[in-house]
Amino acid sequence: MAVQALPGHAATTGHDSHRDHIHPEPEGFIAKYVFSIDAKVIGIQYMIVGLLFFIISGLLAEVVRINLYNPQGGFVSNDTYNGAYSLHASGMIWMTIIPLVTGGFGNYVMPLMIGARDVAFPWLNFVSFWLFPVAGVILFASFFVGAPEAGWTEYPPISLQGPPGTSLWCIAIFLIGISSTLTGMNFMVTIMKMRAPGMTFTRMPLFVWAQLSTAMLNMIATTALSAALAALFIERQFNVPFYDPARGGSPVLWQHMFWFYSHPAVYIMILPAFGFTSDNLQTFARKPISGYKMIAFSSIAIALLGFMVWAHHMFTSGMAPWLQLPFMILTMVIAVPTGIKIFSWLATLWGGKIEFHPAMLFSIGFLVVFTFGGLTGIFLSAVPVDLHMHGTYFVVAHIHYVLFGGSMFGIFAAVYFWWPKITGRLMNYRLGQVHFWVTFIAFNVTFLPMHWVGLLGMPRRVAQYQDTIPSLLGTFTFWNRVETIGSLFLAASTLLLIYNMANALLRGKRSPANPWHARTLEWTIASPPPYYNFKSIPAVLKNPYDFGEPLPYLGLDPQPDEDAGSATKPPSLQPAAH
Amino acid sequence: MAISSINASHEAIEARYNAVDGLYAETRDMRLLGFVLVLVSDCVLFSSFIFAYLYLRNSVPNWPPIAQGGHQLPRFDLAFATINSCVLFGSGATMHFAMESWKKLDKPAFNLWMIATIVLGIGFLCGQAYEYHNVQITWAGSTMGASFFTLTGMHGFHVLVGVIYLMVLYWQANNGVYTGSKYFGLTAGTLYWHFVDVIWVALFYLFYLM
Repeated sequence: MAVQALPGHAATTGHDSHRDHIHPEPEGFIAKYVFSIDAKVIGIQYMIVGLLFFIISGLLAEVVRINLYNPQGGFVSNDTYNGAYSLHASGMIWMTIIPLVTGGFGNYVMPLMIGARDVAFPWLNFVSFWLFPVAGVILFASFFVGAPEAGWTEYPPISLQGPPGTSLWCIAIFLIGISSTLTGMNFMVTIMKMRAPGMTFTRMPLFVWAQLSTAMLNMIATTALSAALAALFIERQFNVPFYDPARGGSPVLWQHMFWFYSHPAVYIMILPAFGFTSDNLQTFARKPISGYKMIAFSSIAIALLGFMVWAHHMFTSGMAPWLQLPFMILTMVIAVPTGIKIFSWLATLWGGKIEFHPAMLFSIGFLVVFTFGGLTGIFLSAVPVDLHMHGTYFVVAHIHYVLFGGSMFGIFAAVYFWWPKITGRLMNYRLGQVHFWVTFIAFNVTFLPMHWVGLLGMPRRVAQYQDTIPSLLGTFTFWNRVETIGSLFLAASTLLLIYNMANALLRGKRSPANPWHARTLEWTIASPPPYYNFKSIPAVLKNPYDFGEPLPYLGLDPQPDEDAGSATKPPSLQPAAH
Repeated sequence: MAISSINASHEAIEARYNAVDGLYAETRDMRLLGFVLVLVSDCVLFSSFIFAYLYLRNSVPNWPPIAQGGHQLPRFDLAFATINSCVLFGSGATMHFAMESWKKLDKPAFNLWMIATIVLGIGFLCGQAYEYHNVQITWAGSTMGASFFTLTGMHGFHVLVGVIYLMVLYWQANNGVYTGSKYFGLTAGTLYWHFVDVIWVALFYLFYLM
């Protein structure tokens, strides 16, 4: 790749002046792939480390499930069991999903989509990334000193009395929190200031809207968690009373501070997945998305409302009763912008020429499963129902329907969608479809029974349970065994993905610049993109989603393998008549 | 940029600020937005601890609370804190004048006001140390001490960072780092210093007046 540097600029300006010059590509393996400040490389690094932590956290979930195969437990000690579920959730939420959806795909795809050469502050991005593996290692290292045992929520006073690993947990989550905050700030500035000329807010791809609202949440909410963690840490280490009720502190205070972050964190995890879905669905339905503006603004509405609902996690914690009603109503209100998205996606599919690409399958799977999880969410938001279901497996089922079925399905879709762009290789299509069906079935076998097991009263976070409650639906033991077997298949399904990825890297066919005939800017450049992304920054004339019309960009870099202009209307994929 | 008239008109200052090469203006605007967002995030950090303080305060019938030995904890020394607050607010004013002098290209006045700001900042930290030394409560002794030392300690740390930053800015300004309209560092320093001031307004009210 010949790199064109405009004379005089590269030597005299900082790394964040983005428009008019191209930096020379770094030389050598270390500078290029390890300590890189290129957002694409950092994105890939996030994905690799995230995949590693995904596997570790997934194996911890298997420890939990295998222990529950028999009612008397016994696969691991009770302490290990407590550590396993605490770190499974912490690892999945903070070390897998959040870094993957923001740091991973956000870094790789978002700058390409807005026609930028990098994020606003590449060195800050570098710092954000390197905090992530450090935090992850500290988190999982807590097993060596006694892993935290109070669940991922670490409610005091249990967490105050917990093993030394609880303090390591505080440090790890604090570090990843700083990483998230910096990434959020970086992305907000990038999206506000570095869009290609002509790309107004309403011409941004929907994934960029999702990243913008996520960055807002990351920026504001994460610091509240940092404060809560700092207080927990100093209370554990220096005996300073914040949460200990015996010394004037309040455990409910922790719950307020924790959920003020952790409820928005749910949207940090799901909004980017909404973005993946918005871009996948229309590409494989060959139809412009229905209600572009509604989807874009509902992301912002969800982000804002997300700050006002945290106490619905605390209906049983003894907070002031008058607070319950407003939080219940606000929680239900949040279903409105989410519902707008769901109906817009359904309307997009309606009458489209649907291609069952693995990414499309995962997006449709996402729609089905996430909607189901959303409905159980409405159950849980109602105070009287929550009083019965709080702390049962019904909640576990709900969270896995929205986080695994929502965020992880979204991530899988994104992997299949952007893999050729990232690696320049095509994955096996059939194997991708098989991966989806195995995942989808195993997922439902694992998590669907948790609903009625929870309704019958099985509490979460227990290492043993009684098998004395027979019902029409079978005993606890029967359903726990079904769940365990399902979860083993779910774990095995991930191997299909890993095999597919490895196979594509080693033997995959070369991908053209735009294999899916998608229309956002990242598909107009080579796969994988060159170091500088765009030789000349294109101008944007309208939003990218008018399938069947020429691409709305001026000044695109010419691609040797494919004419980007004609790629929008391949003969086999004519847009549906409507 | 060779304008050197002292007390240039407001329009002339504006014009000079805007007459930069596009690349620098772009960079400056991005850094400004980024810096403001970091301050917003920092503000949430303080707000969370303030929330904790108010929450703990409202969960007991009397404030100051009863310590574990059974004795009533004393209130903080309002008179001394008022003097010390005036020192910090004064440093906000001198910082403002420093920036104004800089914009009018009045380097000697800028240097003077900067040194005044740094001295006042150090003075506030000394006052804070004096108060920590004399206050009747401890960090780990009560929820009041926990909130007080955590919040004022965090704030004091911000002031310390600010003083060091101002010293760096002073050195940079006198060694040709900032020329013409390229002085984003000074803008950021001013913003940060005023931010620290505003946080103290809240803390002063919460701990000494409320």
